[in-house]
This record gives sequence, C-alpha cells and structure tokens, in this order.
Amino acid sequence: MIWLEGVSYLRAGSPALQDVTLGVSFGELVVVEGLTGSGKSSLLAVAAGARSPDSGAVWIAEHNIVGLQASSLPYVRRNVGYLPPDPLLISDETVLENIMLALAVRGEPIDSAEADARETLAMVADSAWEDRLARSLSTGQQRLVALARALVGPPPLVVVDEPAAGMGGDDREGIVSALVWARERGCAVLCATCDPGFSQMLVDAGGRRVHLEGGRIAGAPAIGLVPTPVGFAGESEPKNAESSQAIHSSARRSSGEESS
Amino acid sequence: MTVAWILRRARRQSVSQRRALWAAAGSFLVLGLVSGATVLGLRATRGWMSTVGQTVHVIAFLRDEMEPDQIAQLADLLRRRPGVARVRLVEPAEALVRLRDAARPSSATDSWLNDLEPGYLPRSIEVALAASVDLPQRAAELSRRLRGLAGVAEVDAMTDGVARLGAWVRFGQRLGWAVVLAAGIAALSFLVSTVLRGREARRRQAQVLVILGETAGSIRLPANIALATAGLMGALAALVVLRLAWPALLTAVESALGVASMPAGFSLGVWESSVGLLAAPVLGWVLGYISTPVPGWVDA
Repeated sequence: MIWLEGVSYLRAGSPALQDVTLGVSFGELVVVEGLTGSGKSSLLAVAAGARSPDSGAVWIAEHNIVGLQASSLPYVRRNVGYLPPDPLLISDETVLENIMLALAVRGEPIDSAEADARETLAMVADSAWEDRLARSLSTGQQRLVALARALVGPPPLVVVDEPAAGMGGDDREGIVSALVWARERGCAVLCATCDPGFSQMLVDAGGRRVHLEGGRIAGAPAIGLVPTPVGFAGESEPKNAESSQAIHSSARRSSGEESS
Repeated sequence: MTVAWILRRARRQSVSQRRALWAAAGSFLVLGLVSGATVLGLRATRGWMSTVGQTVHVIAFLRDEMEPDQIAQLADLLRRRPGVARVRLVEPAEALVRLRDAARPSSATDSWLNDLEPGYLPRSIEVALAASVDLPQRAAELSRRLRGLAGVAEVDAMTDGVARLGAWVRFGQRLGWAVVLAAGIAALSFLVSTVLRGREARRRQAQVLVILGETAGSIRLPANIALATAGLMGALAALVVLRLAWPALLTAVESALGVASMPAGFSLGVWESSVGLLAAPVLGWVLGYISTPVPGWVDA
C-alpha cells in the first residue's frame, strides 16, 4: 500500500503540498483530481518515491522511504509502476525494450519479460508499435507506452500522472480498463487527472475520488484505510497476496546488501 | 538487473552508440600507440647510448719512460673513478695488430704497414665509460685530467662522434617527448569529449532507470562495460600495430644513425603489454562511470 502522512513539499520555494495525508490500499483505485498547479504531480511523484518530501512520511508497505538510505530507494521504487508527467522513454530504444526495462530491473528472465511486455502493450496500446523506436512516436503514443511500462508485471503499486492527457475516447476507455485490470490484480492504483470526464469514468469503474486544491486534500476524506503493519483486512485485502511480500523481500534484500 | 540483462543493455548501447564507441576505441588506439612507442623509444635510445658507450674510449698514449708499476697505478686509479666501466692496457704489439686490421687493404698502405714495428707505437690505456646521456662531457673531463699527468703523452677523447650522436639522441628524445605529450593530450581530450558528448542522453536514460528502481551501479554498468571493451580493443590494436610496424621503423632509424640493430627493442615485454591491456579497460571503466550521471531523486 501507499500511505502519505502529513506530507509537505516545496516546489521552487513555493508550497506544492501542505500537510497531505492519503492512503491507497492494495486492490484500491484512487483518483486524485484538481486544477493545474493544485499539486497533483508533486503528490504522485512523492507517492512513487521519485521525490523526497520536505516533511512528513511516505510509507510504501512497511517502509518509510523518507528515512531510507539513498542506496535502498531503488529496491522500493522497483515495486512502483510510475508514469510521470513526462513519459520519460529511452528515445533510441524500441517500444518493446522500453516496456521490458521495468521487468529487467525486477530481475525477470528476458524471455518471459518479452512475453509480458507484448501482452501489456497489446492491452494498453497497439502491439504493432513494438519494434518502433520510442522517438518515432507521437506524444500521446509515448504516454501509452509509458503507461504500459508502468503496468507491466504488474507491480504492487501503480502511480500514474495524467495517463489520458490528450487522448481520444477509445484510448481513454482502454486506459480505464487497464487501470481496473491492475486493481483487480491487487495493485494499489493512484491516478491523477485534471480532466473531470476521465475522473468520472474512473469513479464509475469503482475508483475513489480525492480532490486536491492548493496543495491540500479537500472535500471527502482522503484516508481509505488505516494502515496496518502487514497485510489488510476486509474488502481491501490484496487479491495479489504476493504484492506486499514482494516489497518486503526487496527491502530485506536491500538491507542485506547494505550490511554486507 | 541480472547479468544477462546488463549484457543485453551493454550490447544494445554499443549498437546505438557505435560511432561514439568506435571513436573511443580509436582514441584508445592512439593512446596505446603513443604509450607503447614511448616505452620502446626510450628503450631504443638507452640501447643506442649503451652501444656508443661500449665502443667509445678515452685513449691515453703513454710516454716510453713510464714504468710498469706507474702504469699499473694509473690504471688502478682510473678503474676506481666513478663512471668508468673498463680500463685496459694496450701494448704496442696489440696496437699494431689493430692498426693493420683497421687499415683498409690497399697497395698504398700495405707496404708501410708491413714495415712498421711495434716499437714505433706507444703503450696506451683505453678507458671505456659507462653509458649515459652526458658521456661526451665525461669523456672530455677525463681527457683534460689525463693530459695533466706527467707520463701521458697524448689523449684521444674521441668525443666528436659521440657528441654528434649524443646530440642527435638528445634532440630525438626531446622531440619525442614533445610529440608524445601532444599526441597523448590530443588523444585523451578527444576520448573524454567523445564520451562526455553522450552524457545528456545517458543522463536521461539514467533518469528512466532511476524511476524504474534500478541501482546506480547497475545503471552505470552497461556504459562501464562498453567503454572498457572499447579500451581493450584499442589497446589490443595498438599492440598489434606496434608489433608489426615498430621493427621496420626502428631498423630505419638505426640504419640512419649507423648503430647496430637490437632485437630486444623490437617489441613490448609481457609485463608492459599486460599493463597496457589492463590500464586501457580500467580507464574505459572510469570514463563509463563519469559519463553516466545518476540522479538520486527524479526531476520528472
């Protein structure tokens, strides 16, 4: 799960997030909506472990990444499928290779990574793109490939920032289906959008809406579940029971490597 | 990332950045050639100076009135002098034999050489000096001191040839060092600029991999491997080129200088080759490390 507690974050000296507390359980889809500049991207970057908050705690499973050594962060990050605002693809690599990289980092064998990447690409975008270089794609196509990279596996935690930006109707439905697919596999899915229509589609698909305004959570309560040290109870118990375990084992491996 | 993945990434990077890697390998080749030629050149000039030192003597021609024990004392004093490699007393009979051997056979010289008797030639002491770049100066200094001795009739320092050759060797060494320094700096600058030119692209790749949760070490490994391989290839090529081209070059230079050929100077030794083959990949590895900046946090 992802659990942000009293998180504040300054962007170029201005507060982007102020005392934000938010939890996303395994098997839950949370939609963060808000206007441009409301702090959505900052919130997701912090939740994905890509940026360090100025204060507060960011728990990914049992690990507060704010307290982790820099050398341990990668072992937590590899359990998060993150789609940043800039798709960040390797431009001189093929689409398939870009998607496979997420599995390469997790140590999956090359053959099975290739099969998984193909399957995810077909689900999210168009399998005919697999041999194209990333730089030959349009911005929208690059976003879909980056989304496929975030979902391949799938990882226990999925954090996607504006996945449907600039997308048409079919693509939007495909993205919603892909996020629901991840949630049904037990992933904790956190999605940000400034598009009320897309937000509504996710809510209709079972998502929980959180409204961000001026860097603060507004309106409905942002806390889905009170975190417990290991696992979850009730409806939110991960269908993919290995999700939590995967993070624990990664972190343990990290600790072991550091001590050695 | 597993070993298989890292090797795959290294291979793919090598293909996508093949121009930069070939340029890096070329730079390593030039660096290897410069380094190897420097080692071989130094060895050759040392050999030449040694050859010169063995064949050039200070010859002190002694007066007839010098007693054998005085000659022995003089020889002993000379042997104790620093920088003197060998001292030898040459009797008139031996001097005559040498003179006959050295003289070109011709009808003009044959007649008077045959008539010459050992008694016409003085005793002499030959002094061989230890080889060094200041050999002519040392020979001149020794000659000056010998001329001041009462029993010494004449001294032949034989410095002209030595000085000429020594001057050429010194000039060659200075020129060689200047060329080596310039070529080395040029090759290294080209190598570093080639590697750093791709830094921005690698920074972006690193950012992608940081987001995916790759460790800094694994992110840098493909570039480390690719540049270390380029270094190894360049060093191997330099060894092959030096092996093939150096003997001909050295023979040509030695022929021009008129010194004997030295087979030992034709190739680098096992130890020297090993150092080169190890140093180039290590330098490549270090360049791979600095060419891939890995951010701790992501600026996405």
